[in-house]
Amino acid sequence: MPSDNSHSAVSHKAAVIIRLEGVNKVYGLGETTVNALRDVNLTVNAGEYCAIMGASGSGKSTMMNMIGCLDRPTTGHYYLDGEAVAEMDDSQLAHVRNRKIGFVFQQFHLLSQVSALENVMLPMIYANVPAAERKERAIAALQQVGLGDRLNNRPNQLSGGQQQRVAIARAIVNRPVLLLADEPTGALDSKTTQEILEIFGNLNTKGMTVVMVTHEAEVARCTRRVIWFRDGQVIHENLKPEDLMQATF
Amino acid sequence: MDLVESVKMATATLTGNRLRSALTMLGMIIGNASVVAMIGIGEGAQRFAADQFKSLGPNVLFIVPGNDNARNRTLNIPKTLVLGDAKAIAEQVPSINDVAPQLQNQAPVVYGNKRKSTLVIGTTERFAIVRDYNVARGRFITQQEVQRGTPVAVIGSKLAETLFGTKNPLGERVRVRGLSFKIIGLLASKGSFLGNNQDDVLLVPLSTLSSRLTGRTSPYGVEVTFISVSAKDKSQMAAAKTQITNLLRLRHKIVTEDDFTVRSQDEALSIIGAVTGALTIMLVAIAGISLLVGGIGIMNIMLVSVTERTQEIGLRKAIGATQSDILIQFLIESIILSAAGGIIGIMIGAGTVVMVGVLTPLKSSVSMPAIALAVSVSGGIGVFFGVVPAQRAARLDPIVALRSN
Repeated sequence: MPSDNSHSAVSHKAAVIIRLEGVNKVYGLGETTVNALRDVNLTVNAGEYCAIMGASGSGKSTMMNMIGCLDRPTTGHYYLDGEAVAEMDDSQLAHVRNRKIGFVFQQFHLLSQVSALENVMLPMIYANVPAAERKERAIAALQQVGLGDRLNNRPNQLSGGQQQRVAIARAIVNRPVLLLADEPTGALDSKTTQEILEIFGNLNTKGMTVVMVTHEAEVARCTRRVIWFRDGQVIHENLKPEDLMQATF
Repeated sequence: MDLVESVKMATATLTGNRLRSALTMLGMIIGNASVVAMIGIGEGAQRFAADQFKSLGPNVLFIVPGNDNARNRTLNIPKTLVLGDAKAIAEQVPSINDVAPQLQNQAPVVYGNKRKSTLVIGTTERFAIVRDYNVARGRFITQQEVQRGTPVAVIGSKLAETLFGTKNPLGERVRVRGLSFKIIGLLASKGSFLGNNQDDVLLVPLSTLSSRLTGRTSPYGVEVTFISVSAKDKSQMAAAKTQITNLLRLRHKIVTEDDFTVRSQDEALSIIGAVTGALTIMLVAIAGISLLVGGIGIMNIMLVSVTERTQEIGLRKAIGATQSDILIQFLIESIILSAAGGIIGIMIGAGTVVMVGVLTPLKSSVSMPAIALAVSVSGGIGVFFGVVPAQRAARLDPIVALRSN
């Protein structure tokens, strides 16, 4: 995997990857409205490794959808890698998700009928990458997560950890500016969790900006910055992971 | 995303669920097979009927006793059509070539110890010309023999085979109700007409049959079963019909309703054509309904598929698929299902048509318009019934879709 690419993609830009300004998200209409996010202001710079934490219903999932361009703020602005995404339409957002964001989910979300290689090639199909280059880059991405020898295995022939590594390869293969993980170790045992976190750590070391939503303090402790949510608001914007135990209890 | 990738994705999905894809296609297969088969067989039936009428002879009109349109129609056919009518037509109607009256009777024909019940036709020397019969060996009945009532006979090829086998029938004698006939000619084979074998006949002079076998049955003269008339050419047929009708009304002193009917083979053909055409339309309509049902089957399965694959759709959207990417993917899946079902169905239908053509006298052949119809209808069904599920898939909210179980 040409990790220098992710470096260059980051370094020539202004160092801000995520900038949220006065973001509110309101669900529902009339009397049953829920303010999922209230006046969120947040900045994440290139190369950071953050964890978003908070109790259930604290707004961290909404935050994840917002950052991942799966949802738009009701009011406020969101700039991803310098682009104002709050005003974009659905197909522009799809384009942004494709080129700038790599998603890793708790449930892996691999296509069960096709091989690991084809799963990793999928984002490049939507990016109109030529077939030969697709294969080359997908192999490189799978090698980077240590699955160079499992290219043709289907998801059901792989362990949970291996499946999540395929998902990570898929997330990085389009050379995004942001790797966004939603409880990436939630379905894994502790040993596999460490392996996956190691991969995230390595990617971050090579310059990838990583934002992870988690409720596990142990996972969050591997990051370098913790953003704490409560009732739809950021209550700690820059918590040191080592202070986490103290903050939690 | 380009179309090639969409087709590959759709194919991968469909082959990943073979049984379901095959069952979904079944509706289209049956629908298309029946459309192609029904049209092919229907056209075959029409061609068959047309050929049958051609075998009756060119530009032939038939005058039969009785009138189907008469108000006081009875089961008794009037005995008013007689030999004299045939003679009058031959002498007085200008637009005709030949007239062949015929009197026919089902009777046993005996040769040695062999016996076969056969249509014995009493007629004149003009019969062979009017009805387009050819003599293979020997000769036809002559005018003299008709005038004298000579006991001679021309035998149909089928009857000859039954009675004589491979032996030459010329010069042999057969008996019909005690009367001995000398075989003077053997007819060339003509095939069957609407199930009646035209070769299973014995032709004798009309006078011989009427005077020696049937006897006098009508007060008006020698009664005939019907009269075949050949018009000068096709354009003269309408004129011939009118002239014959007028002449016979005069001869029969008719002031109200006719006691005879003049039929042309075109009329009969158009009736048969209308009947087979209506039958074909009905069968195609039924086949069309099964196409429709097949289409609904596809829509149903595609809707189930969208529900089942909600997570997949969410994932695809999360990693950058646009609404139109998803729409096209699902639309292509339904088009492939219906088109593949259509092609398989057309092949089965064409095979059926070819088999019917080989195994039955119906000259059925694969109809290109039928195939064009089937292809366009099944393609259209794929699009039409695929749109709703595809739109549902395309409009799924990725957040909801990813979190669904």
